[in-house]
Amino acid sequence: MNGTTALLILHGLCAVALLGAITHQAASVLLPARKPAASFTGRFRGVSGGSYVDAVVVLYIVTALLGAIIYGEYRISVRTVIEQLEMRSANGVFELKEHFAAIGVGLLPVYWYAWREPLGTHGRTRAVLTALLAFVVWWSFLVGHVVNNIRGFGS
Amino acid sequence: MRFAIVFAVVYAIAYLVCVERNYALFTYHPAIGEWGVGVEKGRDGPAMYWYGWMASSTLAASLAGAAAMLLPQSAARRLPAGASWVAAAAAMLAFCYLLRGFFLR
Repeated sequence: MNGTTALLILHGLCAVALLGAITHQAASVLLPARKPAASFTGRFRGVSGGSYVDAVVVLYIVTALLGAIIYGEYRISVRTVIEQLEMRSANGVFELKEHFAAIGVGLLPVYWYAWREPLGTHGRTRAVLTALLAFVVWWSFLVGHVVNNIRGFGS
Repeated sequence: MRFAIVFAVVYAIAYLVCVERNYALFTYHPAIGEWGVGVEKGRDGPAMYWYGWMASSTLAASLAGAAAMLLPQSAARRLPAGASWVAAAAAMLAFCYLLRGFFLR
């Protein structure tokens, strides 16, 4: 296993943690549940969204940094193969991932501030920012997973 | 909060413009692991501008955010927080449109 593969695994693990945190938070803010909830889905939605903010910001930055480090290897070893195979859609969804993730970085300060404000203020902004970041994280996770599968692990 | 709102709006717009016009602060050459200042053509392989676009956008957004901190409190209160997500969502939709060629033949 080379260094890039190790970093790719670490990138994936951080992405899983980020996915869990942002999904919990998005569910809590978009579909709030009455507390205490009895069902599994109720408890999933019933978490305190504010407690996830710092974790989401840190995990987003760490995951993006790890992705940025291995991006050069992707450009040389993976994208070239995808282009040779004429898989234009796969290339396109990865290009979107690249841009969505970059735009997500720009949202982190306002997302962090919005969650620090008292609950009555900026409620809609907080909810939409969380939903938007959740979309970016889900898109990036799924696309990264699919594109990685095209090239093949460790190949 | 005003720094963050202005940062988010300017960053999204600046990133879109940087990608479209290729205003990269620096270029990475992954085949040889070298960096270059500004926009450069590929050396012994492809050139990567993504890092440079993000750096350019961060610089522009930071300057705009710092300028917003100089606004009087009354003007700062009128900054709509919702503009942050509107700008980001609009930029994402713009990229979907700009990259449609990958999906349409």
